[in-house]
Amino acid sequence: METLLATLPFLLDPSILIAAFVGVTWGILGGALPGISPSITMALLLPFTYTMDPGAAIVLLASTYVGAEYGGSVPAILIRTPGTNAAAATVLDGYEMNLQGKAGLALGISLYSGFIGSMVGLILLMLLSAPLSSVALAFTPPAYFALGILGLSVIATLSGDSLVKGLIAALLGLIIATIGTDPVTGSNRFTFGSADLLGGIEPVMIMVGLFAMSELLAQASQRGEVNKIRSRPRIEFPDWPLAKRLIPSQLIGSTIGSFEGVMPGAGGTIASFMSYNEARRWSKYPEEFGKGSPEGIAAPESANNAVAETAIIPVLSFGIPGSNSTAILLGGFLIHGLQPGPMLFVQAGDVIYGLYAGLFVAIIGMMIMGIAMLPLCVWLVNRPLPYLNAVILALILSGIYSIHGSLFDVGLMLAAGVLGFFMRMLRFPFLPTVLGLVLGFLVESNFRRSLVLSGDDYMIFVDDRISLALLVLSGLFIFGSLARRAVAALRKENRTAFSEGSDG
Amino acid sequence: MITRDMAGGAAASLIGAFYLYYASQLRPSSLADSVGPQGLPLVYGWLTLGLGFILLAQALIAVLRASPADHAKQADAWTGQGRRTLWAAGLLAFAAGYLLIVEALGYLLSLAILIPAVAIYLGARIGWRPVAVGVGGAVVLWLMFDKLLGVDMPEGVLRGLGL
Repeated sequence: METLLATLPFLLDPSILIAAFVGVTWGILGGALPGISPSITMALLLPFTYTMDPGAAIVLLASTYVGAEYGGSVPAILIRTPGTNAAAATVLDGYEMNLQGKAGLALGISLYSGFIGSMVGLILLMLLSAPLSSVALAFTPPAYFALGILGLSVIATLSGDSLVKGLIAALLGLIIATIGTDPVTGSNRFTFGSADLLGGIEPVMIMVGLFAMSELLAQASQRGEVNKIRSRPRIEFPDWPLAKRLIPSQLIGSTIGSFEGVMPGAGGTIASFMSYNEARRWSKYPEEFGKGSPEGIAAPESANNAVAETAIIPVLSFGIPGSNSTAILLGGFLIHGLQPGPMLFVQAGDVIYGLYAGLFVAIIGMMIMGIAMLPLCVWLVNRPLPYLNAVILALILSGIYSIHGSLFDVGLMLAAGVLGFFMRMLRFPFLPTVLGLVLGFLVESNFRRSLVLSGDDYMIFVDDRISLALLVLSGLFIFGSLARRAVAALRKENRTAFSEGSDG
Repeated sequence: MITRDMAGGAAASLIGAFYLYYASQLRPSSLADSVGPQGLPLVYGWLTLGLGFILLAQALIAVLRASPADHAKQADAWTGQGRRTLWAAGLLAFAAGYLLIVEALGYLLSLAILIPAVAIYLGARIGWRPVAVGVGGAVVLWLMFDKLLGVDMPEGVLRGLGL
């Protein structure tokens, strides 16, 4: 209550209002451009914040983060290209809904769910900063390793018909994640003498290659065979029956996103995939997932928007950024001589409360600007396919180049596109590869650190209570999925046996 | 008869084998932990190789157990795939060509060539429209990335004009 009362006056501060609207608009634009991550979008604003009031500067940066997390879903739905890493899960059902002529509804669900997730995240940020940050403090290397394993365990349910193919796809992602510098010793691995590979391969290059470039290659291979689906150029928010149906998946997404946001290094991508998986597990219509399920959009969008708020908790409470984007936010604090941490709440409380107010305005602004800019995006998707694909190719090439100004990165993305093309041809799923890529570093670095801490005693993973709980949960996920597959296979065999007997 | 799963299994085994070879070349450091830089890569390599063989074996068994109708269906699955792969390779060639010319010609000019070329390749009619979309698209993207977002795009031959 005290926090709420302290925040209210800032809702009327013009500098906070302007910063919030400008930031969220900029963020939506940046997030919607494939290859332009939220952190790049924020970093481009940093020089402009030097001369601003500290409160407005922080709000500008944080609002950009909020806008970008939503903006990434726009190209994910319209052109099967996640605008941000965290929007990769939205591609699964969002693009399918687009193909069914429901792009407007998909975008409406994304915006509405993003609003819900953001509001939940903001409420938690305001109410639970201190308690949640103490949970983050309790995470040790074994717990982080177990968190990575939990993330990987969803492969068991995301592998489609063939678990073996899903595991191979996941291993491809883990293999790519080993390229670069060894996380413990700092030695080079699989760089083949290339300086460009020393820093590893950014997941966004692989994701854009796998999802977007391979889609362009697939469409090029089917010249004249593709029936273009025209989307209605209108935004549709879900009606009450659909909104009611989406509540459980939004709650799941918001909860997982809020938790993952607090964990440094966990982030929007893991949250969105875990939410997708859990929403499917608890849904009354799991068979619809991957084929245009509204819940398949609601869950990841709630999650990645909740992350945008709760990821700020470790920065505010301890001055520890858990991601590239929050590192930029920390930079914004430091530019103005503000040291985040426990003392910030005492010495610069007005900046904190201004930030809360600014985020609230940014979330409302996200709805308004999201609606205002979407008709333009929907118009774009109705353009003739050859032109649309040519411009998308140009956009992808430009976006990836803009990350480091390196043509080598663009070449990597093209290679990932070729890999994705052949994975499609041979019916390998993409999602496990993305999971392996995103979680590979987390899993390996914390596994090895844990063994260093324990003197090579593997019991450390069991002795740590958080680690044990997460590993048990992972085991249950995997076992449950295998049991379901076994039952399904048995039923199929029984049906086949019955029909063979009948033909007798 | 080669099915998709056979091809996938063979590819995975090959990738696993190559990765294992290079992982075994990683030099262990005396400062390394007990797992070392080689540890998990070796695990991943063996798993990929093993799962590739399993997939190959599953595919072989499925082919041996398949009915003649299934055999025909599987043979049909590859029909036209070579042609489709070549079309996709063509698009890839355009993208690779862009990489080769962008630093020399500059971002704006390269895009103005790439967009209409790709559009025509993908089926747009030759005429003023692809050129207009190409030039317009190049200008919009240049304004967005170079001017609005401040990304340092290659200038190329238009350097003297400040573009």
